[in-house]
Amino acid sequence: MTQKHESRKKGCHAAAVLSNVRAGECFWKMRLRFSGEAGGAFARFRPGQFIEFDTSDLAIPATESIPNALRDGARRSVLLRRPFSFSDVTVQGDVTLADLLYCVVGPASLRMTTLRAGDVASLIGPLGNGFTVPAGKRTALLVVGGMGLPPIRCLARLLSTEHKDVEAIAFIGARTVASLPLEERPAAFDGGLSLSVPTFATLGVHSMVATDDGSAGHRGPVTECLARWLQENVDRDRESLIVYACGPERMLEAVAQIAAERDIDCQVSMERRMACGIGLCQSCAIECRVEDSTETVYKLCCQDGPVFDAREVVFGAETA
Amino acid sequence: MNERIDMSVEFAGRKLANPVFTASGTCGYADELADFMDVNALGGFITKSITLKPRRGNPTPRIVETDAGMLNAIGLANVGLERFIAEKLPLIAKMEPAVFVNVAGTTIEEYVAVVERLAGEKALAGFELNISCPNVKKGGISFGTDPAQVEEITRAVKKACGSKVLIVKLTPTVTDISVTARAAIAGGADALSLINTFTAMVIDIETRRPVLANRTGGLSGPAVRPIAVYLVNKVYREVAREAGIPILGLGGIRTASDAIEFLIAGATAVAVGTASFIEPDCATQIVGGLHDYCVRKRIASPAELTGTLAGPA
Repeated sequence: MTQKHESRKKGCHAAAVLSNVRAGECFWKMRLRFSGEAGGAFARFRPGQFIEFDTSDLAIPATESIPNALRDGARRSVLLRRPFSFSDVTVQGDVTLADLLYCVVGPASLRMTTLRAGDVASLIGPLGNGFTVPAGKRTALLVVGGMGLPPIRCLARLLSTEHKDVEAIAFIGARTVASLPLEERPAAFDGGLSLSVPTFATLGVHSMVATDDGSAGHRGPVTECLARWLQENVDRDRESLIVYACGPERMLEAVAQIAAERDIDCQVSMERRMACGIGLCQSCAIECRVEDSTETVYKLCCQDGPVFDAREVVFGAETA
Repeated sequence: MNERIDMSVEFAGRKLANPVFTASGTCGYADELADFMDVNALGGFITKSITLKPRRGNPTPRIVETDAGMLNAIGLANVGLERFIAEKLPLIAKMEPAVFVNVAGTTIEEYVAVVERLAGEKALAGFELNISCPNVKKGGISFGTDPAQVEEITRAVKKACGSKVLIVKLTPTVTDISVTARAAIAGGADALSLINTFTAMVIDIETRRPVLANRTGGLSGPAVRPIAVYLVNKVYREVAREAGIPILGLGGIRTASDAIEFLIAGATAVAVGTASFIEPDCATQIVGGLHDYCVRKRIASPAELTGTLAGPA
């Protein structure tokens, strides 16, 4: 008999994998089930919050199922956890179900594809601060760039269930139609506002699609769709509007500028390389303005964000 | 089986509940880890570096993962001495482990000023002198690679320490670490900690640029562990054993068996760094594993393991 060493791991949870399937060219969707204490913890998950997923113990898939572009990088070992946001969270009594939509881009996400129903995943969370819905908002403009979709999709769910008085409209951008992280590809996008994107349509949210190459929807940056909508709805009370965005930093910068020019509230979900996600490593610095000052400070994406007021952020640190 | 393992160790005249620390820069100041583990189960706690004035730190990217390790170039981002005293010390005063403040600076005067200001704080066991940070332009490693400067800064800081313990943290990025270890001891170090990170670089082959904004960073994690074990053993055999100076061993420790290697190599205590990023309660798990090892090997205390490497030297 050895001494029992009780470790208090408030934030470390085990999740049961219910399914893990390919959802597009490089996209996968994993459904996780949290029960017991974890079920309660994740029932309080807010859109925009994130988790740190441990893939260090997972095997590399068989060589033939590794995309050519990843064969070289896939051989690298994984040490650190990886941050992800959920695209959907639903509570069923003591159990919380969460969808993790991920893109296979490197050794960690490649290993995640080997998880099967019945496997157990180790993750830390919920972490960080999610999106907030200030009182008085009537229209939420949701702007997505590529893999920025999950937290925005999660927010659309929240709006449709807990803020029924807020109309949500989604603007979804990607480089090409193939890089839209959508499970169900609708037959056609006409570039107009419609219910043609099922993942938003099921929530009653109208959406508009833009691709850089014009392979779907509007040809050009998604921010053009946002700007056009604001132009067409210029008579709306700006106080009743709010913009939420997640995507590449260049897109966030453009969205923030559009919102700032019209003095519309805007929240952006930022991304940085993180070692820990819990404020220990200090890696994920975001340059932020100080109110009534020309000075800036570094805040931490993991603890102070990842969702920031767009007026606060000094963009461009990692887009140069 | 004998369950009465005495986990305590004596470290530079202080009795610690056990020989496991969390390493500077990987556990915040005090409160950050409390959500994820019982900090009071640790033997020692070393704060993130404190400098006289607050420091912003380096631009991002500040980290990049490598095989079995990572590079960091945080640049000693910290709240500065005044905010540390106002916001963090009250929390530290409530902690049971021996708390050491890691001190950094760009001049000897800055180091001394920080230590003088904190030397009277009852809540602190002592200081860890950071003369081995590879990620700042001035100070840091530039002090730590020159034996004459190591001795000078150690002597100046020791004078300001009062009765507090002074640990000097050594860089492995030198030709012979025993030379700097001797210099630190000559300057009055009560203990040595080794190793700090190795200066390293990762290149993005698409852009042909270094991944880190700082170009270089410090390599840590399991990749460095066998080198760290070797260096601890080298310093123990060549310098520390004879001088009666304890070693805090660190570098890539992730499991109890990793920690035990360091003790056998000559360390009196060990610190967990990078592994806390992946498993925040890694250090307290190691305390448990160390206890179990002592039970299994019928050893009364982990203190008995220090410097017990078998075979020819």
